[in-house]
Amino acid sequence: MWFFNSTPTHDERDDLLGRPSFNFRLQIILGFFTFFILSVVITIGAMLTISRIERKIETVSTWERFLYNIEQARRWEKNYFLYGTNLDDALESTANAQAILNENLHYLEQMSIPWPKEELMRDLALYQSSLKMLAPISLQEFNTADGRMAVEADLRRYGAQVVTEAAALAAKEHELIAKWLNIVQKVPVYFLIFLFFLMIYVARFLSLRFMQPLKQLVQHTQRIAKGDFTPVKPARKYRDEFTTVEVAINRMLRELESRQNSLIESHKLRAVGILTAGVAHELNNPLNNIMLSAHSLLEEYDELSKDEHTEMITDIIQETDRSRAIVHNLLDFTRENKSVMQPLDLSLLLNETAKLAFNQARVRGVAIQLDIEPELPAIRGDRQQLKQVFLNLVLNALDAVNKGGRIQLKARKQPNHRIIVEVEDNGCGIPPEVLPNIFDPFFTTKPVGKGTGLGLSVSHGIISNHGGRIEVASEQGRYSRFTVTLPWGATQTAATSDQRQPQEGAS
Amino acid sequence: MKRPTVLLIDDEPIVGQRLKGTLEKLGCEVDVFQDPGKALDRIREKGFDIIVTDVMMPDVNGIQILEAAKAVNADAKVIIITGFATSDLARECMEKGAFDMIAKPFKPSDLRSMVVRAATEMGFTDIQER
Repeated sequence: MWFFNSTPTHDERDDLLGRPSFNFRLQIILGFFTFFILSVVITIGAMLTISRIERKIETVSTWERFLYNIEQARRWEKNYFLYGTNLDDALESTANAQAILNENLHYLEQMSIPWPKEELMRDLALYQSSLKMLAPISLQEFNTADGRMAVEADLRRYGAQVVTEAAALAAKEHELIAKWLNIVQKVPVYFLIFLFFLMIYVARFLSLRFMQPLKQLVQHTQRIAKGDFTPVKPARKYRDEFTTVEVAINRMLRELESRQNSLIESHKLRAVGILTAGVAHELNNPLNNIMLSAHSLLEEYDELSKDEHTEMITDIIQETDRSRAIVHNLLDFTRENKSVMQPLDLSLLLNETAKLAFNQARVRGVAIQLDIEPELPAIRGDRQQLKQVFLNLVLNALDAVNKGGRIQLKARKQPNHRIIVEVEDNGCGIPPEVLPNIFDPFFTTKPVGKGTGLGLSVSHGIISNHGGRIEVASEQGRYSRFTVTLPWGATQTAATSDQRQPQEGAS
Repeated sequence: MKRPTVLLIDDEPIVGQRLKGTLEKLGCEVDVFQDPGKALDRIREKGFDIIVTDVMMPDVNGIQILEAAKAVNADAKVIIITGFATSDLARECMEKGAFDMIAKPFKPSDLRSMVVRAATEMGFTDIQER
């Protein structure tokens, strides 16, 4: 199945590298570039607004100068009516106003708010012409009611109109300036607030983008330490600096996996080595039976009846079969197989395992008791590897017990789709101070040359890959009990997919 | 003429079946047991001259048989059959006074000559291969 696919596929690398690249350098550069562009936009906006305000101020001052001249003219006009003086001054002021208007006409048309040019020009012209009409009239003549009344009314009317209009324009322009100034004051404040939140967001975004892959890497190392060598799957949409690390981890995983496989293989052979005495004994029994039967036939052929002949030959055949079964059981365990996950009958597997160790136990004078619940549900697993785990546990137990000791191999179904297999011995037990370390690689209490300290760590790796657990309980001088919990049925598929979920969930 | 009494113990039934006749032909009185426990009782009940026993059997092993036989009759000759002889086992057997050891698989003639030697040492003169 997925885990022990020992030939590394290139897909996992392609998956990682096949994504479009969007590295953190680019992300940081993009972030800062966004800030820069925003600042440029705001600066240019402010400069444009300020230069518009400048021009507005000029417009206002033009209108104010115009207004001042008109008002001046009206004061002279008043003097003329009161004292008969200053008519020339009034004309001059009006001319000045006219000149200001004419000079800035083009500018005002462009810059000012819409203004009633025609009316203002007409009113000004009418005011001016009314003033001019006064010039040839002497004051005495003027004092006669009719002519004076008409001119005076015209002057008042047009003068007032021009003043009102000009004043209104100046006031409006002022208002506009105030409004723009207000904007120029407020925009930077809003911009700062906006920038503040934007920076918080960008900082959070970037740090999350850094933290997430780091967290994932930590998760990967944790599961790898537990013996799950599934390659790292792409979790993010884009390739970045962490992809290099992930590719390196996958390369390491392939190495680890092949090491693990050769470790399992070499451990199997070690177990076989330990079994030699038992196997030799086991094999020599049927061989002896064959030898004795064949010799009896040879020596006493003529004295024996036909039935006895048949009996001996049948014995020879049966004993040969027995030898073959023993060799087969051993070879089956030893054979270097590509690991396959398949449905397994655990009770059959445990019986075969016990058979492997049975004679070894007998050589040592130790009894192996089997207590396997009938009709255990099938589990998915690698037959050889699981056999190796249980054999390893039994052989360890065998090392722990003295002559006359007892090893119990129990299996039973648990609720929640689990099967528990226990290997318990009544041997020397495990000192509590070493209990936490016994699944660590290279941890051993045996003298140099007697143990590699890898047996239990290999077993632990194998059981983890099956989605199971291996635990130990022991009391010194009384017992040691190793408990293997394996999932079956629905839980097992859930357990195996559990290990892949983190990657898929995050992508 | 007294015939040597032989007790043959092996939990493999074929061993007894095949060897009983051939040993009787030598002139021995042969008892065969598959269950070492019962054999032990029998030894205590009746001392045997020659005891041929497998060493590795369930419950009671060959060494215990050897010790029991020697306890009953210090002169008894005990021949140990082993499936897989280790030097430790050989030393232990010899220390405990075994007459000889024979490793499986063996020919009936091998055992016969061993029994003849034992019987001869015990003074049974007319026991010999024919």
